[in-house]
Amino acid sequence: MEDVLNKARHGDLKLTPEVMDVVLESIDLMKSLLHAIRDNGNDTSVGIDITDICRRLDIISNGETAKNIVVAEEVDESPVPSAEEDDNTDYSKLSDKEVEDEIERLLKMRKEEDRKRRESSGSAKAAAVPTPSFESLKDNHDNDGDSDDEAPKVVEPVTRRSVGGDTSNTAPAKKESASTMEQTIRVEVKRLDHLMNLIGELVLGKNRLLKIYDDVEERYEGEKFLEELNQVVSSISLVTTDLQIAVMKTRMLPIAKVFNKFPRMVRDLSRELGKQIELEISGEETELDKSIVEEIGDPLVHIIRNSCDHGIEDGATRRANGKPETGLIQLKAYNEGNHIVIEITDDGKGLDPDLLRTKAIEKGMITEREADAMSDKEAFALIFRPSLSTAKVVTNVSGRGVGMDVVKTNIEKLNGIIDVDSEVGHGTVIKLKIPLTLAIIQALLVGAQEEYYAIPLASVLETVRIPLDEIYTIEGKNVLRLRDEVLSLVRLSDIFGVKQVYEGGEHTYVVVIGLAESKLGVVVDTLVGQEEIVIKSLGDYLQGIEGIAGATIRGDGRVTLIVDVAALMNLAKGITVDIRASAEAVVKTKTVPSDYIVLAVDDSAMDRNIMKKSMEPIGVKVLEASNGQEALNMLKSAEYSIDAVLIDIEMPRMDGYTLAGEIRKYSKYKNLPLIAVTSRTSKSDRLRGVESGMSEYITKPYSPEYLESVVRKNIKL
Amino acid sequence: MNDKLNQILQKQQQQVDEPHKKEDDIIQLVGFIIGQEEYAVPILSIQEIIKPIEYTRVPSVPDYILGVFNLRGSVIPLIDLRRKFKMDPVKVTEDTRYIVMKGKDNTAGFVIDRLTEAIRIKSSRIGPPPETIHAEKGLVYGIGMREENILTILKVEQLLKRDF
Repeated sequence: MEDVLNKARHGDLKLTPEVMDVVLESIDLMKSLLHAIRDNGNDTSVGIDITDICRRLDIISNGETAKNIVVAEEVDESPVPSAEEDDNTDYSKLSDKEVEDEIERLLKMRKEEDRKRRESSGSAKAAAVPTPSFESLKDNHDNDGDSDDEAPKVVEPVTRRSVGGDTSNTAPAKKESASTMEQTIRVEVKRLDHLMNLIGELVLGKNRLLKIYDDVEERYEGEKFLEELNQVVSSISLVTTDLQIAVMKTRMLPIAKVFNKFPRMVRDLSRELGKQIELEISGEETELDKSIVEEIGDPLVHIIRNSCDHGIEDGATRRANGKPETGLIQLKAYNEGNHIVIEITDDGKGLDPDLLRTKAIEKGMITEREADAMSDKEAFALIFRPSLSTAKVVTNVSGRGVGMDVVKTNIEKLNGIIDVDSEVGHGTVIKLKIPLTLAIIQALLVGAQEEYYAIPLASVLETVRIPLDEIYTIEGKNVLRLRDEVLSLVRLSDIFGVKQVYEGGEHTYVVVIGLAESKLGVVVDTLVGQEEIVIKSLGDYLQGIEGIAGATIRGDGRVTLIVDVAALMNLAKGITVDIRASAEAVVKTKTVPSDYIVLAVDDSAMDRNIMKKSMEPIGVKVLEASNGQEALNMLKSAEYSIDAVLIDIEMPRMDGYTLAGEIRKYSKYKNLPLIAVTSRTSKSDRLRGVESGMSEYITKPYSPEYLESVVRKNIKL
Repeated sequence: MNDKLNQILQKQQQQVDEPHKKEDDIIQLVGFIIGQEEYAVPILSIQEIIKPIEYTRVPSVPDYILGVFNLRGSVIPLIDLRRKFKMDPVKVTEDTRYIVMKGKDNTAGFVIDRLTEAIRIKSSRIGPPPETIHAEKGLVYGIGMREENILTILKVEQLLKRDF
């Protein structure tokens, strides 16, 4: 058999499905032989007839040796018993033509036997995929071990034993001939993980450094050392990014590792189902993080099984529909930004959205009304619900309604997105979009009232700014019509119970998140931006909080929680707050002037007194602070709800400009009137006041009436 | 050298685990005030004591869990002992501290009103907790008698156990 493979590798032998049948079958036989040897200690106690297969291998192999030099190179294969040696001179003297005929004859014979055997043993084997990719098949023989446990055990007694069984017992895989030696070392995954963690810390440090640099730049504009600092900071950030990518790369594996088992699977399936299916693989060199490669295998198996079983029709039906008799499944992988996309396309009968709806109603998963409101895309998404199957009969292969649920769970675990597209009669396209890595991710930072959350960018489809009156309520659910789709909406602050401290404007931001096959619009108050974040666990104590996937430390050293998109979607179902109504119900608790509080910040007690006096006619309560720091602490403590602040510019500890800037950093004080009251009258001072966030600028000396009117205007009294 | 170190470490661990093994064992505690009462925890279970820093609220947890904070790159939960002991929350003052306690597999910060002192107390002067006073089951390790007052000694492992 090695000879056969060898020749195929050197292009001497044309691989036909028949040849592959023989090869695969012999592999199965070898495996069962190995099992037998392992279980019984010898190979004579189980009746496995390898004579026939050996002879066939010989035919294929020796038929060509007449005109070719055999290159003796090892195939990197599992232990290979070479039983063919015995009688391989018989055919070598024949002419090509004769050999061809002989092969033809023997193959026919073999096919007959094959059929008989299959009937007798009951375990169907060896499917015919016409000209499958040979390389991938070969690499994969090792992996198929588990599924081949029931390799055909032939019932007739042993007629002739070969030496092969015994040699295989002792023959370890003879791998790695000199030519294939690679410059690699094996590294424990744990070490890589540790390295990854360290890099994570470094990335956090880098983010902080960048932030500090921004602050420094602002403060010491035009200073010479800034240039130098800039250089250092940017080179560090560059190197860190490169380092991160490099470490990530060390964890990457080509997706071929997963893809390689599919040709054999499809081949076996197609034989079993009596269909002709061709599998086309492309992009198997695309690389993915190791942990993801491990997770992605199962979902793909299920999807491809489904395509084979339900998607591709049998030959007759296909012909009747004017399609080529051989069904085609394409398995494609490619990179798209920070994602890898795996596309599984079949040209089968496609998904029928109406059938899906009826089935779902039958099973009581959705009501008829829901079904009517469903778009085709949403109907396709039904296939991911557990226990829904479109198959009329449950087969060995699929139809139990479990598989797609597994797909969904696994892809969700990876923060991936599933997109199903199908046309009845033309086929189905399933797209899996998976982030390249899990430890460091890109996230969209959003603000809900005063709190910030990070949403994995992998799950963010788009962000839109909408006026509030575009939000409609249907059956207690908030929805938004976005282009031709109806999107359910939920406010992030409702999900996480964020305190409502300030009301939004006429518009609001919606982050459209998608996970697996579902979509949701999340209403947030601010969009902060995109940032690279390192996922940290919340620890045992806070493990498993619904809706939170972890935490990250931002550039400013604060902790920001990362949203668990899958859980968020679940949580969203339980929330029935009318967004529009609650947004419009303006929180107006203050009614009389004495409810209002004005904070007077000035270092001179006399000035504060003057301010106090001027405001007496309005009747508001006045608090005092003697410097910026004190005022800021009062605002921070949120003990009083302050409605306006009068700020002197020249003060010890923290001046007025800085105070205004600090206050504006709090989102809840974004609209707080800040009135500068100062003796600085120059234009540049005024300008600086505006820049730092002052809403009014009053110069000393002022008339009490003037101050009064300004305050009145600003707190709307 | 290493053996010696191990021995010392083991001894320390023993001290943490069973502070009253011998009658005359001296236990070292750190005392702090919550509300009106003085509490204490074994000194070895304390990782560090820090001044209040900013923390991030975590949704859908009991109210005594204030959130999480960043301790030099680690995300650590912050627990308000006042609320945990069903007292009214107060504002952060100059004296407020976070005590970061480390257990076997958990670390958490606890908000306390004020630190008092490091205390050395003989284990013979520690009595079992009276059964009636604390609704919070198992949190109290024992009551320490001192000349001028009494101490409630808390069980750190229990404090660090998730109970929701």
